[in-house]
Amino acid sequence: MDESNNLSTSRRRLIQGAGVGAGAVVALGAGFVGGRASADGADIPATDDGDLVDLTASHAFYTGTHQAGIETPQQRHTVFMTFDLTTTSKQDLQRLLAQWSAGIAQLQAGLPIGSVQPTNSAAAPQDTGEAYGLGAAALTVTVGLGPGIFDGRFGLADKKPKLLADLPKLPSDRLRPELTGGDLSLQACADDPQVAYHAIRVLARLGRGTVNTRWTVMGFGRASAGKGQATPRNLMGFKDGTRNVKEPADIDTFVWIGDDSDEIAWMRGGTYQVARKIEMNIEIWDADRISDQEDVFGRSKAEGAPLTGRHEFDTPDFAKVVDGKPVIPVTSHVALAAHENNNGIRILRRSYNYTDGINELGHLDAGLLFIAYMNDPGHFIQLQTKLGSSDRLNEYISHVGSGIFAVPPAPKKGHYLGEELFG
Amino acid sequence: MSTASRKAAVSLVAALSLASLAACGSSNGASDAGKGGGTTTTKDGVSQVSVTMVSGAAGDSCKVSTESVPAGPVTFTIKNESATGLTEVELLQDQKIVGEKENLAPGLPASSLTLTLGGGSYQVYCPGATAETTAFKVTGQASAQPTGSASSLLTQGAAQYGSYVTTQVEAMVAAVRKLQQDVDSGNVQAAQKQYGEARPFYEKIESDVDGFVLPGFKPTDNRGNLDYLIDMRASNLDPAVGWHGFHAVERDIFANQKITAKTKKLAAELTTNVTKLAQLSKSLTYRPEDLANGAAGLLEEVQANKISGEEENYSHIDLVDFAGNVEGAQQAFAYLKPGLKALDASLTDTISQRFDTVNSMLDTYRDPNQIGGYKRYTAAVKKADANKLSQTVQALQDSLAHLAEKVATA
Repeated sequence: MDESNNLSTSRRRLIQGAGVGAGAVVALGAGFVGGRASADGADIPATDDGDLVDLTASHAFYTGTHQAGIETPQQRHTVFMTFDLTTTSKQDLQRLLAQWSAGIAQLQAGLPIGSVQPTNSAAAPQDTGEAYGLGAAALTVTVGLGPGIFDGRFGLADKKPKLLADLPKLPSDRLRPELTGGDLSLQACADDPQVAYHAIRVLARLGRGTVNTRWTVMGFGRASAGKGQATPRNLMGFKDGTRNVKEPADIDTFVWIGDDSDEIAWMRGGTYQVARKIEMNIEIWDADRISDQEDVFGRSKAEGAPLTGRHEFDTPDFAKVVDGKPVIPVTSHVALAAHENNNGIRILRRSYNYTDGINELGHLDAGLLFIAYMNDPGHFIQLQTKLGSSDRLNEYISHVGSGIFAVPPAPKKGHYLGEELFG
Repeated sequence: MSTASRKAAVSLVAALSLASLAACGSSNGASDAGKGGGTTTTKDGVSQVSVTMVSGAAGDSCKVSTESVPAGPVTFTIKNESATGLTEVELLQDQKIVGEKENLAPGLPASSLTLTLGGGSYQVYCPGATAETTAFKVTGQASAQPTGSASSLLTQGAAQYGSYVTTQVEAMVAAVRKLQQDVDSGNVQAAQKQYGEARPFYEKIESDVDGFVLPGFKPTDNRGNLDYLIDMRASNLDPAVGWHGFHAVERDIFANQKITAKTKKLAAELTTNVTKLAQLSKSLTYRPEDLANGAAGLLEEVQANKISGEEENYSHIDLVDFAGNVEGAQQAFAYLKPGLKALDASLTDTISQRFDTVNSMLDTYRDPNQIGGYKRYTAAVKKADANKLSQTVQALQDSLAHLAEKVATA
């Protein structure tokens, strides 16, 4: 693994997660238990730590391999924010990336950035303090570089990752300019929401004068599963991410830019990040009959089994026809997104549920912060072109925010993110 | 290079080329009057410089008769011939206002400003002109530069800052008196215009003068709180004391568009209260950290009340106040600058650059046809621009926040 999962012996802050799959066992004492006693014996490993959360866990930053927050077991909460550079100085950008790198290393170790209570009474505290004493809570902060970095303002056009470009207009897009784009992205994920929020707050503060905030989403519940994690549910009440990319070999194939890639050299070990803010029409969805809801997803609601199977991890049988009709409708979400129907293409999803309160109509304003990682953004474009054209889910959702970012590899100690850009 | 510093560099180049064009005729010392063409003239040992504001096809311009004078007394004779977009001229040295003339409407008689200048580089600053700054050189002996440790430089700067506050307070009393006259005359339009002229002064020095309690009143009694009596907004009224001051007048002349006996009473009271304030402010002394905290406080004012549009709820001249707050903060900073440079040159540069950035942003809102000289801060302007305004000011405020700790421990 590329990141140390530094599990402390202290279990005082071990928390039994909510929303664990059926059959979860409460942890007693030290050690792990199976998060899911899978009756079907499906592909959940025995070492599964289920939804146990260790608030003392921390992830190393200076790994020299991949950035954390991608393959890392998905944490409970996120704050995702994008920024616009207000400078045209390459040096300012360089300084920002160096400062952010050092800051993220501190934060991921559970340390404040500078003093919370300065000894000089005239000084403003450097660290804002709200995460003081909360521990690292498995925080990861993942930095992305938007297409704007390479647009000529900074003389970096010749360093542009080959496949980095603004996403084209995709079917059903209802993007709002104020929720779209950005020169830089920060994805902070943690098992304590206040730790994630603190990270974004202090990093935004470090960047002030160099970057302006652009858009943000705060996600309160994970809506994708990684290896060894029970599949969580999105706000439509369906399990999301059952068929996510989980095995390290698959992640190498579909996510990381490998050494043999013809991508620009400094991106090796990196990946691409696509973020979409997807609004859900929750009230309308809630009034839909269960049979239709299941046809929209192509899965059963409680178990999450494909409509052709009995258990969540049963492989969907898209060819199965009853009474002359496919059992899994061809325009269901699972059928359109399945790798079997997309030339084997897969992307790593790392999404979160979000709520923004109440909208101007008095409806619950909520949805999915879809974040995905892939070594070719064309894969997302291909999938979303298909989904946006015919997904039955489109009746209940709209893509209102969007961004694409190149994610450089993690630096080694003594270096910083994106250093190769300034060589 | 940041946008702001690029702009600064461009205007510097423009100023330099102006200076070199004029170089052949300048710096002649004491020559005869009337030769013109960039020659310095003197009268009774006082160098004479005329600044003429004219309109032209390419916009308004500010013409300075010479770019160089010898050190010593200098009289600037400033005349606005036809430039409707220009109303003020300042002489700056290292961002500090050395002297200024305001309310320069076209056609008014020339006004003059006499200053004793030491050798060095200055700029004649005409906000709103096509070329806003003109380099102005004073040759010969520099005025005695403050010397000593960073700490004594800061203390000297803080003491000198007192004269800036006095100038602003006096100008406020005069402008408020004129506002009272316009209100008394019953001319709503004139009163509105003068309201815009009178407002910025308080905003420039608010953090220095907002703590006065009239003799005989408890600090918690708003009847004796001069800041309450002068600058209270509708949102924070004390029902026991009622509404007084600038914003009560603002409501009458902008929202009601009517001058009543009550309005006249409010305007007269305002004159009384700013006059009391002027008296009390004479007792003020300033430590370096007061300037630093005051500057940061003025920017807090911008964030809390101007960008929200709350301050000037009826007149919508929030950007006029905004510019006043920024000028006040920048002047406090400028007086600390000699000492601060010795303490932390890089922080000094950062803050200077961020003031430049905020000022060039504010420049884009200048509109000589509007009350106070800035665009009205309407709901539409707020919706479109509040984000940009706020984030730009925040970057300045964050760097200014480090000022107090630096100077307090020097």
